[in-house]
Amino acid sequence: MAYLELKNLKKSFGPTTVVQDFNLSVGRGEFISLLGPSGCGKTTVLRMVAGFEIPTSGSIVIDGQDVTRVKPNGRNIGMVFQAYALFPNMTVAQNVAFGLKIKGMGRADIDTRVREMLKLIGLPELGNRFPFQLSGGQQQRVALARALAPSPRVLLLDEPLSALDAKIRVSLRTEIREIQRELGITTIFVTHDQEEALSMSDRIVVMYGGVAEQVGNPHEVYNRPRTRFVANFVGTLNTLDATVRDADAGTLTMAGVDLTLPEGGLQAKSGERLTVALRPEAVQLGRGADSDIVLPGSIEDVHFMGSVIRLKVAVAGSSLSLDTFNRSDMPPPAVGAAIEVSLSPKDLIVLQG
Amino acid sequence: MTRLLAWSALLLGCVFFALPLVGMTEFSMRMLREGYSFEAYRVVLVDERFQLTFSYSVLMALATIVVGMVLVVPTAYWVRLRLPAARPWIEFITLLPLVIPAIVIVFGYIRLYNTSSWLPLTGSTTGTNILLMFGYVTLSLPYMYRAVDTGLRTIDVATLTEAALSLGAGWVTILTRVILPNVLVAVLSGAFLTFAIVIGEFTMAALLDRPAFGPFMQLLGANRAYEPAALAVIAFGITWACMALIQLATRFSKHIQVQR
Amino acid sequence: MPEPRPGPLSRLNLNWLGLLPFALFALLFLILPTMKIVVGAFQTPDGNFTLDNIYGLNTESIVSSYWVSIQLSLITAFLGCLIGFAMAAAVILGKLPGKVRSGLMTFSGVASNFAGVPLAFAFLATLGPVGLVTIWLRNEFGINLRAMGFNLLSFWGLVVVYLFFQIPLMILMIAPALDGLKREWREAAEILGASASQYWRMVALPILFPALLGTFALLFANSFGAIATAFALTGPQLNIVPIKLYAQIRGDVLGNPHLGYALAFGMIVITALANGLYIWLRVRSERWLK
Repeated sequence: MAYLELKNLKKSFGPTTVVQDFNLSVGRGEFISLLGPSGCGKTTVLRMVAGFEIPTSGSIVIDGQDVTRVKPNGRNIGMVFQAYALFPNMTVAQNVAFGLKIKGMGRADIDTRVREMLKLIGLPELGNRFPFQLSGGQQQRVALARALAPSPRVLLLDEPLSALDAKIRVSLRTEIREIQRELGITTIFVTHDQEEALSMSDRIVVMYGGVAEQVGNPHEVYNRPRTRFVANFVGTLNTLDATVRDADAGTLTMAGVDLTLPEGGLQAKSGERLTVALRPEAVQLGRGADSDIVLPGSIEDVHFMGSVIRLKVAVAGSSLSLDTFNRSDMPPPAVGAAIEVSLSPKDLIVLQG
Repeated sequence: MTRLLAWSALLLGCVFFALPLVGMTEFSMRMLREGYSFEAYRVVLVDERFQLTFSYSVLMALATIVVGMVLVVPTAYWVRLRLPAARPWIEFITLLPLVIPAIVIVFGYIRLYNTSSWLPLTGSTTGTNILLMFGYVTLSLPYMYRAVDTGLRTIDVATLTEAALSLGAGWVTILTRVILPNVLVAVLSGAFLTFAIVIGEFTMAALLDRPAFGPFMQLLGANRAYEPAALAVIAFGITWACMALIQLATRFSKHIQVQR
Repeated sequence: MPEPRPGPLSRLNLNWLGLLPFALFALLFLILPTMKIVVGAFQTPDGNFTLDNIYGLNTESIVSSYWVSIQLSLITAFLGCLIGFAMAAAVILGKLPGKVRSGLMTFSGVASNFAGVPLAFAFLATLGPVGLVTIWLRNEFGINLRAMGFNLLSFWGLVVVYLFFQIPLMILMIAPALDGLKREWREAAEILGASASQYWRMVALPILFPALLGTFALLFANSFGAIATAFALTGPQLNIVPIKLYAQIRGDVLGNPHLGYALAFGMIVITALANGLYIWLRVRSERWLK
């Protein structure tokens, strides 16, 4: 039984529809990410769950209660905003206490709870500071504590990391996830950063143009993207043109080589041209042991990125990116060098639509 | 619900603000019994005293603007560039005219610069004119300084100055050719606002006994019925034109900034 | 201006030199005249120190003029803040179209500067004995404003007239502060369970408090020192401090030149007190600001 259920949500502002046919069931304690570019409707979905936007149609059910028409202040939901949402006129402790005070909790209980929350976010000493005295990362942690203090049913995170420095972003990611696990709170996290979504989520909803393109766990979404948009948006992707030889048998011709897809049947007509995609890490430099296909090529460009080296290789008239691990005893090939790359048909993603 | 409240609050305010404007306009056109006419305006405009006082006040306003800018622009620039520590003090001084009533300041002038003092400005017409002009500079100081300082904040004064110095420019060149064009919009805003304040000013001109537009309006108001309303319409028109020019200048600057 | 040379001492001197013209101007036309008043208030005609001038203020006529002026300033500042705030909030927070907002702001710029003599004329033409609204109410509805106790040339008439520039001034001053209220604060309060009134009481008003207070002090000083409007409206009769001082400067109606100094000194003290109070409260309430 789903804890949070979004059914057929639709939201229009005047003539423009920003969200439609949106369905999602979130289990208790699950961490779900809404991932997509800006303007894809992910924030609107979150704001509908919060109650800041009323859906044009559809319903929102939390723990069996239909809250579609309930005002935000009656939903018992916690939310962390992109940035700067702490009340500047209150200390850290007063900020965290705000929701408890509204609830009418006693003073002693509030103090205990605030101390507990500040310990949870690892800032037990900063209760008397004002928000302007904190770093961006600390502010967002306080915002998290404030959202969690009244024990909300659902936690909503609206790109809480996007205004922070890269280093803090990564460390806070882990921290948020740990706190979420510890409390077992059902969480919806909105982001445009695929790395964040992949690393934090139980499941990811990839959104584009107001609809959910794909829902699945990070492994599925990354390795088996169902649409061209998902494949392109999540991770880096090489695309190659191929021609269907036998749709039922799942055989293709690609770069002059015939190959058979392990899954078999294709939903295409024989002779049709289609696009297949391949992750950079699925292309191997040199001959692999079990690789079925070996293609000749030449190095176009070398990007040394640290632990990984990304090569651009010209193969069969198109340009492929490939990733190889850095090894101290093996310098990367020079630009212009003739090389061979190998790839396995099981890594090929046939893009439809 | 919120929107309904908002509209009604606004509507009520609009009625309050529109009525006097409608009232003065209607009244100013009632001079002739047979119906609406511009007779009151005609009478006012051909009045020699109107022409004299009005041109006097316009001249005063222009002088105030020029002197005020010569005083404020280099000072604000210098403070930003070299004396940031002095900023709170300068700001405090520029805000004083908002706190000390104009009538008190002019009272001080009269007593400080009377004919038997060390600087007998009120002893001669020219001296009194100069004193009144500086009084107006004082009155407009808060607005002028604020406008120019805000303008300077949007440009990088230090870098511009260093760049100009490295190209061999002197200080006068820097101020007139580099800084001024960059804060021109701010300067213009301050100038129009100053004009609107000075043109109808009453207290200082009346107490220094200068033939300015403000005291003339007051005098006419005490003796006539319809002409004052016509003057009010004219004064409102001038104020409105000044504000429109400020808006125009601001819009023009945005236009330039987009093009950059 | 010569280019500053290296060396801390010469550089320091030259830098301060740049402020000389401004300092001279401020001294001659702002500080010395004010000092003259302040010192004069404590001097006998011979130049000896005395407190008699200050004691001399304690006549019924002068005390009541201060009282009327203070009441007038407090009431117009308070009503100006209240109504101006309501209008600015309506336009900025009330989801009204952007055109309405820019229109209101432009008009406020005009109206806040449309004070003095012409403003008095405008109201005389509207609410005066033969004004547009007065006549209209009498002819159409048989309402006689004067019989109902309203007189434009009275205290409350002056309040109405002063509001014409006090309200727009409030709108101009408070608009930036209202813009500074972030949507996230409202939403954060809301999702934490706060009602609209709780949000205003616990978040928005405390944040706006310094701005509200500052504008109130400014509006107070603005109306306390204003003379042209009242003078053009009622002539020299109305018993408020600026008009009394005006008459004293023109013709020494108090019969003691140094009592005029004391009268002016009292005005400075009151506006300075208002602003001092404002600064003190602001410092207290702005601990949370950078």
